[in-house]
Amino acid sequence: MKFFTFLHILVLAFLISYEVKAKNQIVADLSQENVKITTDFLGAKILLFGAYDGKKGDDIIVVVTGPKGLVTVQKKEKVFGIWVNTKSVNYINTPKYLNISSNRDINKILNQKTQKISEIGLNNLKIRLQPGKKVQKENEWREALTRNMLKSKLWSLNENSISLNKNALFRSYLNLPSNVITGQFEVKILHYRNSKLISKELSTINVSKSGVSAEIYNIAQNYSTLYGIFAVILAVLVGWGTNLIFRKV
Amino acid sequence: MYIYLPIAEQPIHSLAILGVGTFLGLIMGLVGVGGGFLLTPIMMFLGIPPPVAVASVANQLVAPSVSGVLSHWKRGNVDFKMGTVLLLGGVVGSSIGVVIFNFLGKIGQLDLVIKSSYVIFLTLIGSLMLSESLNLILRKRKGKVSRGKLHQHNWLHGLPFKTRFRKSKLYISILLPIFIGIIVGILAALMGIGGGFIIVPAMIYLLGMPTSLVVGTSLFQIIFVAANTTILQASQNQTVDIVLASILLLGSVVGVQVGSRFTNILKGEYLRLILSTLIILVSLKLLTDLITIPSDIFSVIINR
Repeated sequence: MKFFTFLHILVLAFLISYEVKAKNQIVADLSQENVKITTDFLGAKILLFGAYDGKKGDDIIVVVTGPKGLVTVQKKEKVFGIWVNTKSVNYINTPKYLNISSNRDINKILNQKTQKISEIGLNNLKIRLQPGKKVQKENEWREALTRNMLKSKLWSLNENSISLNKNALFRSYLNLPSNVITGQFEVKILHYRNSKLISKELSTINVSKSGVSAEIYNIAQNYSTLYGIFAVILAVLVGWGTNLIFRKV
Repeated sequence: MYIYLPIAEQPIHSLAILGVGTFLGLIMGLVGVGGGFLLTPIMMFLGIPPPVAVASVANQLVAPSVSGVLSHWKRGNVDFKMGTVLLLGGVVGSSIGVVIFNFLGKIGQLDLVIKSSYVIFLTLIGSLMLSESLNLILRKRKGKVSRGKLHQHNWLHGLPFKTRFRKSKLYISILLPIFIGIIVGILAALMGIGGGFIIVPAMIYLLGMPTSLVVGTSLFQIIFVAANTTILQASQNQTVDIVLASILLLGSVVGVQVGSRFTNILKGEYLRLILSTLIILVSLKLLTDLITIPSDIFSVIINR
């Protein structure tokens, strides 16, 4: 089954590549555009594949950005022998998922300045402190944010992970960890020649809760008191039920 | 077999959770206490966020308590009047507890307070149980088993609003059980416990209740305190994970029933010795987590 889909994709990609050659563009597709978080969700691995009108030495960079929002960084200090969270800082506009992949080291593809302008690289994101807030040694906090996001696998930098084939086809895998946040993920596929962007393709991945797990979550959020009462009734019934069963045994 | 927890928002091995629930149920059945105050730290060790662990364990506790009360009721071991007074205090206390819980979450100190209250209470209760069971074992070896006074009078019995509790053969101020209920309620909501390990000694030593009534009556009040905590946590903080609680309670109700059948076979003092060692180990683990240098002094919270 898996082999068949891969073959299927390959044939499709070859067909597309003729079209691509004619128009000097890049086309791409994802093995999965809707990721459903169900009760057996353990994370997802998405195949990203496509064709481009390439020459030897061309490069491809893929940037996948999840929903953006508020992320808090906390700092612990030792107070009376115990490590306590003493300071915290909020970053706004922070992607809660980020995956940057490329076919070789990004520094070899683009110079630092271009990376900064096009927001490619973990340190080039336009993340800001919450307005009106200042901290000493801001870079320490910013580094801690990157370090912790990488550790949680919500951010990742995978240089050399895109495989190119005959300057016409490319393929890459995206990993969504099990703690991934729901929402819309923007996929940017960038095709560079001599450090110049010559074509790009945009796509999206939707991550949503689905099935029983989604229902439970929604009920817990929207009918929270009823949900609590139901949880209690369920426990009472189970407790009472076991008592009945075991009395007879 | 992994299962994705909808509120904790992470997958967890369902058999591991079921096993933990059963094991804790066994302890509860054998010793009479030990559900929540071991379960919540174990959930935290397994990576469940402390707020979700506390709220879901409160939910889980309802089931074995209902089951336990029914068996004790059949044997006439529940003082419903005393239980009702205690639970009135308990409901007030657990409501206060959830408010404190909320506040601590807002200022980012919830983990610290949950963990340090566990260190304090587990160390206290663990060492008390350990010394008591060791004493008893030693005394039994010597062949002397003395019984302490069951009922002592002190200044607490001089408080106003005296009420008669026929079943417990007590004539004491109603303020005392209400006060005990409030304190236990606050702790129950904050720590995800029923409070059995606090309320049982309080009933024996402070109220002077007959020991035969203590476990049944405390279970009776725990039902309401745990139920109140669950509903408030669900409506205020949305932290009750019904899937996690269900797996735990399925394991625990079976464990309790099996455990209570073996109470006559295993000696109580040896059981308490094992349990107290377990409690001290858990508390030491929590303490080391608090005092050792974290691998990263920075941590990140992703606001959903």
